[in-house]
Amino acid sequence: MAQLGIDRRRINGPEDSRPPVFTQDEKVQPTWNVGDPRQGRGPKDIRPIFLKPGLVTQANGSAYIETERTKIACAVYGPRQSKNVAYHEKGRLNVEVKFAPFSCEVRRAPLRDAEDRPLAMAIYQALVPSVRLELLPKSTVDVFITVIEADGLDACISSGVIAASTALADAGIEMIGLVTSCSASIVGGDIWLDLTREEARHSRGSLVLSCLPALRTVTSVWQTGQMISDEAYKCMDLCQSRCNDIHVVVAQALRENV
Amino acid sequence: MPATSTISLSKAEKSYIQTGILSDPPFRADGRSLRAYRSVELETGVALLANGSARVSIGREGINSGGGTEVIAASKLEVEDLNEDGVEGGRIVCTVSCSPAAYPHLTSNALDELQEDISTILHQTLAHHSLHPNNLGILPGKKSWLLHLDLIVLSDAGNVFDAIFMSARAALWDTRVPRTRRITYRARKDHAEGQYHIDADENFSGFDTRRLAKATDFELSDYWDEGEVLDGRERWPVCVTLNVISQTHYLDATLQEEAATLLRLLLVYSFPPNSPPSLCGMRLVGGEDSALPDIKDFIKEGEQYAQELFISLDAKLREEDLRRKQKAYTKFARSR
Repeated sequence: MAQLGIDRRRINGPEDSRPPVFTQDEKVQPTWNVGDPRQGRGPKDIRPIFLKPGLVTQANGSAYIETERTKIACAVYGPRQSKNVAYHEKGRLNVEVKFAPFSCEVRRAPLRDAEDRPLAMAIYQALVPSVRLELLPKSTVDVFITVIEADGLDACISSGVIAASTALADAGIEMIGLVTSCSASIVGGDIWLDLTREEARHSRGSLVLSCLPALRTVTSVWQTGQMISDEAYKCMDLCQSRCNDIHVVVAQALRENV
Repeated sequence: MPATSTISLSKAEKSYIQTGILSDPPFRADGRSLRAYRSVELETGVALLANGSARVSIGREGINSGGGTEVIAASKLEVEDLNEDGVEGGRIVCTVSCSPAAYPHLTSNALDELQEDISTILHQTLAHHSLHPNNLGILPGKKSWLLHLDLIVLSDAGNVFDAIFMSARAALWDTRVPRTRRITYRARKDHAEGQYHIDADENFSGFDTRRLAKATDFELSDYWDEGEVLDGRERWPVCVTLNVISQTHYLDATLQEEAATLLRLLLVYSFPPNSPPSLCGMRLVGGEDSALPDIKDFIKEGEQYAQELFISLDAKLREEDLRRKQKAYTKFARSR
Protein backbone atom coordinates (compact mmCIF):
# COMPACT_ATOMS: atom_id res chain seq x y z
CA MET A 1 0.00 0.00 0.00
CA ALA A 2 1.35 3.34 -0.95
CA GLN A 3 1.27 5.78 1.92
CA LEU A 4 1.16 9.52 1.83
CA GLY A 5 4.22 11.44 2.87
CA ILE A 6 6.72 8.83 1.77
CA ASP A 7 9.00 9.62 -1.10
CA ARG A 8 8.15 6.99 -3.70
CA ARG A 9 11.22 7.73 -5.73
CA ARG A 10 13.35 6.12 -3.10
CA ILE A 11 13.56 2.42 -2.59
CA ASN A 12 11.73 2.19 0.67
CA GLY A 13 12.73 -0.33 3.21
CA PRO A 14 10.22 -2.18 5.35
CA GLU A 15 7.89 -0.16 7.58
CA ASP A 16 9.81 -0.90 10.73
CA SER A 17 13.13 -2.48 11.33
CA ARG A 18 14.89 -4.09 14.19
CA PRO A 19 18.60 -4.44 14.74
CA PRO A 20 19.83 -7.94 13.94
CA VAL A 21 20.95 -10.04 16.88
CA PHE A 22 24.03 -12.01 16.05
CA THR A 23 24.64 -15.31 17.79
CA GLN A 24 28.17 -14.15 18.37
CA ASP A 25 26.92 -11.15 20.38
CA GLU A 26 24.41 -13.21 22.28
CA LYS A 27 27.11 -15.46 23.63
CA VAL A 28 29.22 -12.62 24.99
CA GLN A 29 28.28 -12.23 28.62
CA PRO A 30 28.77 -8.77 30.10
CA THR A 31 31.75 -9.28 32.33
CA TRP A 32 32.16 -5.61 33.09
CA ASN A 33 30.38 -4.11 36.09
CA VAL A 34 30.11 -0.52 37.26
CA GLY A 35 33.17 0.21 39.36
CA ASP A 36 35.52 -2.02 37.40
CA PRO A 37 38.44 -0.45 35.54
CA ARG A 38 37.79 0.54 31.95
CA GLN A 39 38.40 -2.09 29.31
CA GLY A 40 40.46 -1.46 26.21
CA ARG A 41 41.98 1.88 27.19
CA GLY A 42 42.78 4.05 30.18
CA PRO A 43 40.06 6.21 31.74
CA LYS A 44 41.67 9.44 30.52
CA ASP A 45 42.46 8.17 27.02
CA ILE A 46 40.52 9.25 23.98
CA ARG A 47 40.13 7.24 20.80
CA PRO A 48 42.80 7.82 18.13
CA ILE A 49 41.78 10.43 15.56
CA PHE A 50 42.12 10.18 11.81
CA LEU A 51 41.47 13.55 10.23
CA LYS A 52 41.70 14.45 6.54
CA PRO A 53 40.68 17.82 5.12
CA GLY A 54 39.68 18.43 1.52
CA LEU A 55 38.02 15.17 0.53
CA VAL A 56 34.85 16.69 -0.94
CA THR A 57 36.14 18.38 -4.08
CA GLN A 58 33.12 20.51 -5.01
CA ALA A 59 32.85 22.06 -1.55
CA ASN A 60 34.75 25.18 -0.53
CA GLY A 61 36.17 23.23 2.35
CA SER A 62 35.66 19.81 3.83
CA ALA A 63 36.95 17.34 6.36
CA TYR A 64 36.55 13.70 7.25
CA ILE A 65 37.08 12.44 10.77
CA GLU A 66 37.26 8.92 12.06
CA THR A 67 37.67 7.99 15.70
CA GLU A 68 37.36 4.23 15.81
CA ARG A 69 33.67 3.63 15.08
CA THR A 70 32.61 7.25 14.79
CA LYS A 71 32.84 8.39 11.18
CA ILE A 72 31.78 11.86 10.16
CA ALA A 73 32.11 13.79 6.91
CA CYS A 74 31.70 17.54 6.83
CA ALA A 75 31.46 19.96 3.91
CA VAL A 76 31.45 23.75 4.06
CA TYR A 77 29.88 25.88 1.32
CA GLY A 78 30.24 29.59 1.37
CA PRO A 79 30.33 32.39 2.21
CA ARG A 80 27.51 32.85 -0.25
CA GLN A 81 24.65 35.29 -0.56
CA SER A 82 21.80 34.84 1.89
CA LYS A 83 18.59 34.46 -0.05
CA ASN A 84 15.09 35.23 1.20
CA VAL A 85 16.48 36.62 4.42
CA ALA A 86 16.24 40.20 5.62
CA TYR A 87 19.44 42.24 5.67
CA HIS A 88 21.73 41.34 8.48
CA GLU A 89 25.01 43.05 9.12
CA LYS A 90 26.48 39.86 10.51
CA GLY A 91 26.82 36.69 8.49
CA ARG A 92 24.82 33.61 9.24
CA LEU A 93 26.27 30.23 10.14
CA ASN A 94 23.99 27.40 9.18
CA VAL A 95 24.76 23.95 10.55
CA GLU A 96 22.89 20.88 9.38
CA VAL A 97 23.50 17.39 10.67
CA LYS A 98 22.24 14.34 8.81
CA PHE A 99 22.49 10.74 9.81
CA ALA A 100 23.01 8.03 7.24
CA PRO A 101 20.20 5.45 7.53
CA PHE A 102 22.72 2.79 8.51
CA SER A 103 24.64 4.94 11.00
CA CYS A 104 22.94 3.75 14.16
CA GLU A 105 21.88 0.40 15.52
CA VAL A 106 18.25 1.16 14.67
CA ARG A 107 17.68 2.34 11.12
CA ARG A 108 17.11 6.07 10.76
CA ALA A 109 14.62 6.53 7.97
CA PRO A 110 15.73 9.05 5.36
CA LEU A 111 13.82 12.36 5.37
CA ARG A 112 11.87 11.55 8.50
CA ASP A 113 14.37 11.18 11.30
CA ALA A 114 17.66 11.55 9.51
CA GLU A 115 18.07 15.14 10.60
CA ASP A 116 19.16 15.82 14.11
CA ARG A 117 18.55 19.37 15.25
CA PRO A 118 19.76 19.05 18.87
CA LEU A 119 23.09 17.81 17.58
CA ALA A 120 23.24 20.64 15.03
CA MET A 121 22.48 23.11 17.81
CA ALA A 122 25.34 21.80 19.93
CA ILE A 123 27.79 21.99 17.05
CA TYR A 124 26.55 25.45 16.04
CA GLN A 125 27.09 26.75 19.57
CA ALA A 126 30.63 25.38 19.65
CA LEU A 127 31.55 26.95 16.31
CA VAL A 128 29.80 30.31 16.26
CA PRO A 129 32.07 32.22 18.70
CA SER A 130 35.11 31.26 16.60
CA VAL A 131 33.89 32.38 13.17
CA ARG A 132 34.30 36.06 12.32
CA LEU A 133 30.78 36.53 11.03
CA GLU A 134 31.01 40.30 11.36
CA LEU A 135 33.25 40.27 8.27
CA LEU A 136 30.58 38.56 6.17
CA PRO A 137 27.51 40.78 6.03
CA LYS A 138 24.54 39.53 3.99
CA SER A 139 26.10 36.10 3.59
CA THR A 140 25.62 32.58 4.81
CA VAL A 141 28.15 29.89 5.57
CA ASP A 142 26.61 26.44 5.26
CA VAL A 143 28.11 23.58 7.22
CA PHE A 144 26.73 20.18 6.22
CA ILE A 145 27.65 17.29 8.46
CA THR A 146 26.92 13.67 7.58
CA VAL A 147 27.25 11.06 10.27
CA ILE A 148 28.26 7.88 8.49
CA GLU A 149 28.66 5.83 11.62
CA ALA A 150 27.80 6.87 15.16
CA ASP A 151 29.21 5.48 18.35
CA GLY A 152 27.91 7.55 21.23
CA LEU A 153 26.08 10.86 21.06
CA ASP A 154 28.75 12.85 22.90
CA ALA A 155 31.40 11.50 20.57
CA CYS A 156 29.26 12.64 17.63
CA ILE A 157 29.17 16.17 18.99
CA SER A 158 32.88 16.37 19.73
CA SER A 159 34.01 14.75 16.48
CA GLY A 160 31.47 16.81 14.54
CA VAL A 161 32.86 20.01 16.03
CA ILE A 162 36.45 19.06 15.18
CA ALA A 163 35.52 18.11 11.61
CA ALA A 164 33.46 21.26 11.09
CA SER A 165 36.16 23.55 12.42
CA THR A 166 38.77 21.85 10.22
CA ALA A 167 36.47 22.18 7.21
CA LEU A 168 35.90 25.88 7.95
CA ALA A 169 39.66 26.40 8.09
CA ASP A 170 40.02 24.42 4.86
CA ALA A 171 37.43 26.70 3.24
CA GLY A 172 39.51 29.71 4.20
CA ILE A 173 36.81 31.31 6.31
CA GLU A 174 38.25 33.72 8.84
CA MET A 175 38.21 32.44 12.38
CA ILE A 176 39.75 33.59 15.61
CA GLY A 177 41.01 30.07 16.26
CA LEU A 178 40.45 26.37 15.68
CA VAL A 179 37.74 24.81 17.81
CA THR A 180 38.40 21.41 19.32
CA SER A 181 36.11 19.43 21.50
CA CYS A 182 36.19 16.56 23.96
CA SER A 183 33.65 14.73 26.10
CA ALA A 184 33.90 13.39 29.64
CA SER A 185 31.50 11.30 31.71
CA ILE A 186 31.09 10.04 35.22
CA VAL A 187 31.08 6.24 35.29
CA GLY A 188 30.84 4.79 38.76
CA GLY A 189 32.89 7.26 40.77
CA ASP A 190 35.41 7.81 38.03
CA ILE A 191 35.81 10.24 35.17
CA TRP A 192 36.23 8.69 31.74
CA LEU A 193 36.91 10.59 28.56
CA ASP A 194 35.36 10.03 25.13
CA LEU A 195 32.78 7.34 25.86
CA THR A 196 31.52 4.83 23.33
CA ARG A 197 27.81 4.16 23.04
CA GLU A 198 28.13 0.99 25.07
CA GLU A 199 29.99 2.74 27.88
CA ALA A 200 27.59 5.69 27.87
CA ARG A 201 24.81 3.41 29.11
CA HIS A 202 26.51 3.22 32.49
CA SER A 203 27.29 6.90 32.83
CA ARG A 204 25.58 9.07 35.41
CA GLY A 205 26.33 12.39 33.78
CA SER A 206 28.31 13.65 30.84
CA LEU A 207 29.83 16.86 29.61
CA VAL A 208 31.08 18.03 26.24
CA LEU A 209 33.51 20.93 26.27
CA SER A 210 34.49 22.82 23.13
CA CYS A 211 37.27 25.34 23.30
CA LEU A 212 39.72 27.47 21.42
CA PRO A 213 43.07 26.09 22.65
CA ALA A 214 45.02 28.91 20.98
CA LEU A 215 43.18 31.55 23.04
CA ARG A 216 42.53 29.38 26.10
CA THR A 217 38.83 30.16 25.97
CA VAL A 218 35.71 28.00 26.00
CA THR A 219 33.05 28.27 23.32
CA SER A 220 30.54 25.70 24.54
CA VAL A 221 29.74 23.56 27.54
CA TRP A 222 27.06 20.93 27.09
CA GLN A 223 26.24 18.96 30.19
CA THR A 224 23.48 16.43 30.81
CA GLY A 225 22.77 13.95 33.58
CA GLN A 226 23.92 14.47 37.12
CA MET A 227 27.25 15.50 38.53
CA ILE A 228 28.29 17.57 41.50
CA SER A 229 30.08 20.86 40.84
CA ASP A 230 33.52 19.50 41.72
CA GLU A 231 33.11 16.67 39.25
CA ALA A 232 32.08 19.19 36.60
CA TYR A 233 35.21 21.27 37.27
CA LYS A 234 37.40 18.18 36.98
CA CYS A 235 35.68 17.08 33.77
CA MET A 236 36.17 20.54 32.28
CA ASP A 237 39.86 20.62 33.20
CA LEU A 238 40.46 17.17 31.75
CA CYS A 239 38.58 18.03 28.57
CA GLN A 240 40.50 21.24 28.13
CA SER A 241 43.89 19.55 28.40
CA ARG A 242 42.74 16.89 25.89
CA CYS A 243 41.49 19.64 23.58
CA ASN A 244 45.00 21.08 23.55
CA ASP A 245 46.28 17.69 22.33
CA ILE A 246 43.57 17.50 19.68
CA HIS A 247 44.52 20.99 18.50
CA VAL A 248 47.95 19.62 17.54
CA VAL A 249 46.29 16.85 15.52
CA VAL A 250 44.04 19.32 13.68
CA ALA A 251 46.88 21.74 12.97
CA GLN A 252 49.03 18.87 11.67
CA ALA A 253 46.25 17.62 9.40
CA LEU A 254 45.73 21.10 7.95
CA ARG A 255 49.46 21.61 7.42
CA GLU A 256 49.79 18.31 5.56
CA ASN A 257 46.94 19.31 3.26
CA VAL A 258 48.47 22.61 2.15
CA MET B 1 19.78 28.42 14.68
CA PRO B 2 19.29 29.24 18.33
CA ALA B 3 19.07 32.96 18.67
CA THR B 4 20.38 34.56 21.83
CA SER B 5 17.56 37.05 21.61
CA THR B 6 14.28 37.15 19.80
CA ILE B 7 14.02 40.89 19.30
CA SER B 8 16.38 43.28 17.55
CA LEU B 9 17.78 46.30 19.24
CA SER B 10 19.79 49.21 17.91
CA LYS B 11 23.49 49.45 18.69
CA ALA B 12 22.96 52.57 20.78
CA GLU B 13 20.37 50.87 22.97
CA LYS B 14 22.59 47.83 23.38
CA SER B 15 25.57 49.87 24.44
CA TYR B 16 23.37 51.89 26.82
CA ILE B 17 22.22 48.74 28.58
CA GLN B 18 25.72 47.24 28.65
CA THR B 19 27.27 50.40 30.07
CA GLY B 20 24.60 50.53 32.76
CA ILE B 21 25.33 46.99 33.86
CA LEU B 22 29.11 47.42 33.79
CA SER B 23 29.11 50.76 35.62
CA ASP B 24 29.75 51.01 39.34
CA PRO B 25 27.23 51.00 40.99
CA PRO B 26 25.43 48.99 38.33
CA PHE B 27 22.32 50.46 36.83
CA ARG B 28 19.38 48.66 35.24
CA ALA B 29 16.38 50.22 33.57
CA ASP B 30 13.93 48.93 36.17
CA GLY B 31 16.13 49.82 39.11
CA ARG B 32 16.90 46.28 40.19
CA SER B 33 20.30 45.16 41.43
CA LEU B 34 22.24 42.69 39.29
CA ARG B 35 21.26 39.67 41.37
CA ALA B 36 17.60 40.54 41.89
CA TYR B 37 14.70 38.74 40.30
CA ARG B 38 11.48 40.42 39.30
CA SER B 39 8.50 39.22 41.29
CA VAL B 40 7.59 35.61 40.55
CA GLU B 41 4.05 34.33 40.79
CA LEU B 42 3.18 30.67 40.94
CA GLU B 43 -0.06 28.76 41.10
CA THR B 44 -0.56 25.02 40.88
CA GLY B 45 -3.60 23.12 39.74
CA VAL B 46 -4.58 25.50 36.96
CA ALA B 47 -5.57 22.87 34.39
CA LEU B 48 -8.38 20.72 35.74
CA LEU B 49 -8.08 17.95 33.19
CA ALA B 50 -4.35 17.44 33.64
CA ASN B 51 -2.72 15.18 36.22
CA GLY B 52 -0.65 18.10 37.42
CA SER B 53 -0.29 21.68 36.32
CA ALA B 54 1.19 25.03 37.21
CA ARG B 55 1.35 28.58 35.97
CA VAL B 56 4.40 30.76 36.50
CA SER B 57 4.77 34.40 35.67
CA ILE B 58 7.86 36.49 36.15
CA GLY B 59 7.58 40.26 36.38
CA ARG B 60 3.85 40.80 36.08
CA GLU B 61 3.03 44.36 36.98
CA GLY B 62 0.00 43.82 39.18
CA ILE B 63 -2.53 41.18 40.01
CA ASN B 64 -4.92 41.89 37.17
CA SER B 65 -2.53 43.38 34.66
CA GLY B 66 -0.40 41.98 31.89
CA GLY B 67 3.28 42.11 31.15
CA GLY B 68 5.94 39.70 32.21
CA THR B 69 6.90 36.22 31.14
CA GLU B 70 4.12 33.72 31.50
CA VAL B 71 4.34 29.94 31.21
CA ILE B 72 1.77 27.23 31.81
CA ALA B 73 2.91 23.67 32.36
CA ALA B 74 0.72 20.59 32.56
CA SER B 75 1.44 16.90 32.83
CA LYS B 76 -0.80 14.24 31.44
CA LEU B 77 -0.45 10.51 31.96
CA GLU B 78 -1.16 7.98 29.28
CA VAL B 79 -1.09 4.21 29.44
CA GLU B 80 1.40 2.72 27.07
CA ASP B 81 1.88 -0.81 25.87
CA LEU B 82 5.40 -2.13 26.19
CA ASN B 83 4.99 -4.03 22.91
CA GLU B 84 4.63 -0.75 21.09
CA ASP B 85 6.56 2.35 22.17
CA GLY B 86 6.59 1.83 25.90
CA VAL B 87 9.68 1.43 28.01
CA GLU B 88 9.84 -0.70 31.15
CA GLY B 89 9.21 1.61 34.09
CA GLY B 90 7.56 4.36 32.06
CA ARG B 91 8.97 7.37 30.31
CA ILE B 92 8.73 11.14 30.24
CA VAL B 93 8.37 13.32 27.17
CA CYS B 94 8.65 17.10 27.45
CA THR B 95 7.43 19.52 24.82
CA VAL B 96 7.45 23.29 24.83
CA SER B 97 5.26 25.27 22.49
CA CYS B 98 5.62 29.00 22.11
CA SER B 99 2.53 30.98 21.38
CA PRO B 100 2.88 33.17 18.27
CA ALA B 101 1.38 35.94 20.41
CA ALA B 102 4.48 35.85 22.58
CA TYR B 103 6.80 36.23 19.59
CA PRO B 104 4.98 38.44 17.07
CA HIS B 105 8.20 39.39 15.27
CA LEU B 106 9.26 35.82 14.49
CA THR B 107 8.30 33.98 11.34
CA SER B 108 6.52 30.67 11.83
CA ASN B 109 9.68 28.82 10.79
CA ALA B 110 11.81 30.64 13.33
CA LEU B 111 9.16 30.02 15.97
CA ASP B 112 9.19 26.29 15.25
CA GLU B 113 12.96 26.24 15.60
CA LEU B 114 12.83 28.21 18.83
CA GLN B 115 10.33 25.91 20.48
CA GLU B 116 12.22 22.86 19.32
CA ASP B 117 15.43 24.21 20.83
CA ILE B 118 13.77 24.98 24.16
CA SER B 119 12.05 21.57 24.16
CA THR B 120 15.37 19.85 23.56
CA ILE B 121 17.01 21.47 26.55
CA LEU B 122 14.05 20.72 28.82
CA HIS B 123 13.62 17.17 27.59
CA GLN B 124 17.31 16.27 27.76
CA THR B 125 17.43 17.50 31.34
CA LEU B 126 14.19 16.16 32.78
CA ALA B 127 13.95 12.86 30.91
CA HIS B 128 17.46 11.79 31.90
CA HIS B 129 17.48 8.37 33.52
CA SER B 130 19.12 9.69 36.68
CA LEU B 131 15.99 11.73 37.52
CA HIS B 132 13.45 9.11 36.53
CA PRO B 133 10.68 8.50 39.08
CA ASN B 134 10.09 4.93 40.24
CA ASN B 135 6.32 4.80 40.16
CA LEU B 136 5.59 5.10 36.45
CA GLY B 137 5.39 1.37 35.86
CA ILE B 138 2.01 -0.40 35.86
CA LEU B 139 2.45 -4.03 34.90
CA PRO B 140 6.02 -5.27 34.61
CA GLY B 141 6.63 -6.41 31.04
CA LYS B 142 3.24 -5.23 29.82
CA LYS B 143 2.14 -1.70 30.54
CA SER B 144 3.56 1.55 31.86
CA TRP B 145 2.73 5.23 32.14
CA LEU B 146 3.87 7.76 29.61
CA LEU B 147 4.14 11.17 31.22
CA HIS B 148 3.66 14.02 28.78
CA LEU B 149 4.90 17.30 30.17
CA ASP B 150 3.62 20.07 27.94
CA LEU B 151 4.49 23.71 28.39
CA ILE B 152 3.09 26.76 26.70
CA VAL B 153 4.92 30.06 26.69
CA LEU B 154 2.11 32.61 26.64
CA SER B 155 4.27 35.69 26.72
CA ASP B 156 7.98 36.33 26.86
CA ALA B 157 9.41 39.33 28.68
CA GLY B 158 12.82 37.77 29.11
CA ASN B 159 14.27 34.95 31.18
CA VAL B 160 12.06 32.32 29.63
CA PHE B 161 14.29 29.39 30.63
CA ASP B 162 14.02 30.04 34.36
CA ALA B 163 10.26 30.33 34.04
CA ILE B 164 10.05 27.10 32.05
CA PHE B 165 12.06 25.06 34.50
CA MET B 166 10.19 26.56 37.44
CA SER B 167 6.80 25.72 35.98
CA ALA B 168 7.99 22.26 34.94
CA ARG B 169 9.11 21.57 38.49
CA ALA B 170 5.83 22.86 39.90
CA ALA B 171 3.72 20.80 37.49
CA LEU B 172 5.71 17.64 38.21
CA TRP B 173 5.47 18.34 41.92
CA ASP B 174 1.71 18.62 41.52
CA THR B 175 1.36 15.45 39.42
CA ARG B 176 -0.67 12.61 40.88
CA VAL B 177 -0.17 9.14 39.49
CA PRO B 178 -3.38 7.08 39.79
CA ARG B 179 -2.95 4.01 41.94
CA THR B 180 -3.44 0.82 40.01
CA ARG B 181 -4.32 -2.70 41.03
CA ARG B 182 -3.27 -5.73 39.06
CA ILE B 183 -5.91 -8.10 37.81
CA THR B 184 -4.94 -11.74 37.70
CA TYR B 185 -6.85 -14.56 36.17
CA ARG B 186 -6.75 -17.61 38.36
CA ALA B 187 -7.70 -21.17 37.54
CA ARG B 188 -10.83 -22.24 39.31
CA LYS B 189 -10.30 -23.96 42.60
CA ASP B 190 -12.47 -27.01 41.87
CA HIS B 191 -9.83 -28.49 39.53
CA ALA B 192 -7.79 -31.22 41.05
CA GLU B 193 -4.65 -29.61 42.41
CA GLY B 194 -2.40 -32.44 41.33
CA GLN B 195 -3.16 -31.92 37.69
CA TYR B 196 -1.07 -28.75 37.61
CA HIS B 197 1.72 -29.98 39.78
CA ILE B 198 5.07 -29.42 38.16
CA ASP B 199 7.98 -31.54 39.05
CA ALA B 200 10.71 -29.35 40.54
CA ASP B 201 13.43 -31.11 38.56
CA GLU B 202 11.72 -30.62 35.26
CA ASN B 203 13.66 -28.45 32.85
CA PHE B 204 12.24 -25.00 32.24
CA SER B 205 10.43 -24.77 28.97
CA GLY B 206 9.80 -21.60 27.04
CA PHE B 207 6.34 -22.88 26.19
CA ASP B 208 5.36 -23.20 29.81
CA THR B 209 3.24 -20.12 30.39
CA ARG B 210 2.39 -21.08 33.94
CA ARG B 211 5.61 -19.56 35.21
CA LEU B 212 5.09 -16.19 33.56
CA ALA B 213 3.78 -13.23 35.49
CA LYS B 214 0.07 -13.77 35.89
CA ALA B 215 -1.14 -10.20 35.92
CA THR B 216 -2.77 -9.43 32.60
CA ASP B 217 -4.54 -6.16 33.16
CA PHE B 218 -5.03 -3.47 35.74
CA GLU B 219 -7.76 -1.36 37.18
CA LEU B 220 -7.71 2.06 38.78
CA SER B 221 -8.31 2.01 42.47
CA ASP B 222 -8.66 5.78 42.72
CA TYR B 223 -11.41 7.96 41.54
CA TRP B 224 -10.75 11.09 39.50
CA ASP B 225 -7.75 13.14 40.58
CA GLU B 226 -6.64 11.25 43.60
CA GLY B 227 -3.46 9.25 43.50
CA GLU B 228 0.04 9.19 44.82
CA VAL B 229 2.58 11.90 44.15
CA LEU B 230 5.34 11.26 41.67
CA ASP B 231 8.27 9.50 43.31
CA GLY B 232 11.26 11.74 44.03
CA ARG B 233 9.40 14.96 43.43
CA GLU B 234 11.88 16.85 45.61
CA ARG B 235 14.56 16.11 43.04
CA TRP B 236 13.17 18.01 40.06
CA PRO B 237 15.66 20.76 39.22
CA VAL B 238 15.50 24.53 38.84
CA CYS B 239 17.34 26.63 36.30
CA VAL B 240 19.19 29.91 36.71
CA THR B 241 20.31 31.83 33.66
CA LEU B 242 23.46 33.86 34.17
CA ASN B 243 23.71 36.64 31.62
CA VAL B 244 27.34 37.44 31.02
CA ILE B 245 28.74 40.77 29.89
CA SER B 246 32.55 40.64 29.85
CA GLN B 247 33.25 39.33 33.37
CA THR B 248 30.16 40.45 35.23
CA HIS B 249 26.95 38.53 35.25
CA TYR B 250 23.40 39.38 36.17
CA LEU B 251 20.18 37.48 36.68
CA ASP B 252 16.65 37.62 35.30
CA ALA B 253 17.25 39.69 32.17
CA THR B 254 14.38 41.49 30.52
CA LEU B 255 13.87 41.11 26.78
CA GLN B 256 15.88 44.23 25.99
CA GLU B 257 18.69 43.21 28.30
CA GLU B 258 18.76 39.77 26.69
CA ALA B 259 19.23 41.37 23.30
CA ALA B 260 22.17 43.38 24.64
CA THR B 261 23.87 40.34 26.17
CA LEU B 262 26.03 38.14 24.01
CA LEU B 263 26.55 35.19 26.29
CA ARG B 264 24.28 33.24 28.60
CA LEU B 265 25.06 30.34 30.88
CA LEU B 266 22.14 28.10 31.79
CA LEU B 267 22.69 26.18 35.00
CA VAL B 268 20.18 23.54 36.01
CA TYR B 269 20.57 22.42 39.58
CA SER B 270 18.81 19.80 41.65
CA PHE B 271 18.97 19.74 45.45
CA PRO B 272 18.00 16.24 46.52
CA PRO B 273 17.45 15.88 50.27
CA ASN B 274 20.43 14.50 52.20
CA SER B 275 22.88 14.64 49.31
CA PRO B 276 25.06 17.32 47.77
CA PRO B 277 23.55 19.61 45.13
CA SER B 278 23.91 18.13 41.69
CA LEU B 279 24.28 19.81 38.36
CA CYS B 280 21.65 18.39 35.99
CA GLY B 281 22.35 20.47 32.97
CA MET B 282 24.63 23.21 31.78
CA ARG B 283 24.61 25.05 28.48
CA LEU B 284 26.62 27.94 27.20
CA VAL B 285 24.49 29.88 24.72
CA GLY B 286 25.68 32.81 22.68
CA GLY B 287 28.16 34.13 20.22
CA GLU B 288 31.09 34.76 22.54
CA ASP B 289 33.77 32.71 24.15
CA SER B 290 34.70 32.79 27.80
CA ALA B 291 37.69 31.69 29.86
CA LEU B 292 37.45 28.48 31.85
CA PRO B 293 38.27 30.04 35.27
CA ASP B 294 35.45 32.55 34.70
CA ILE B 295 33.00 29.77 33.91
CA LYS B 296 33.99 27.98 37.10
CA ASP B 297 33.30 31.13 39.09
CA PHE B 298 29.93 31.48 37.41
CA ILE B 299 29.06 27.89 38.31
CA LYS B 300 30.08 28.48 41.91
CA GLU B 301 27.89 31.56 42.22
CA GLY B 302 25.12 30.06 40.14
CA GLU B 303 24.84 27.19 42.58
CA GLN B 304 24.05 29.66 45.35
CA TYR B 305 21.42 31.50 43.31
CA ALA B 306 19.87 28.18 42.37
CA GLN B 307 19.78 27.13 46.00
CA GLU B 308 18.00 30.32 47.03
CA LEU B 309 15.54 29.95 44.17
CA PHE B 310 15.01 26.31 45.05
CA ILE B 311 14.28 27.01 48.71
CA SER B 312 11.74 29.71 47.99
CA LEU B 313 10.09 27.65 45.26
CA ASP B 314 9.90 24.68 47.60
CA ALA B 315 8.25 26.77 50.31
CA LYS B 316 5.77 28.14 47.80
CA LEU B 317 4.91 24.67 46.49
CA ARG B 318 4.24 23.37 49.98
CA GLU B 319 2.07 26.41 50.65
CA GLU B 320 0.14 25.73 47.44
CA ASP B 321 -0.42 22.10 48.47
CA LEU B 322 -1.83 23.33 51.74
CA ARG B 323 -4.00 25.99 50.11
CA ARG B 324 -5.54 23.51 47.70
CA LYS B 325 -6.15 20.95 50.39
CA GLN B 326 -7.88 23.65 52.42
CA LYS B 327 -9.89 24.75 49.41
CA ALA B 328 -11.02 21.21 48.68
CA TYR B 329 -11.96 20.75 52.30
CA THR B 330 -14.13 23.87 52.53
CA LYS B 331 -15.78 23.07 49.22
CA PHE B 332 -16.61 19.59 50.40
CA ALA B 333 -17.93 20.84 53.74
CA ARG B 334 -20.10 23.45 52.07
CA SER B 335 -21.72 21.02 49.67
CA ARG B 336 -22.93 18.77 52.47
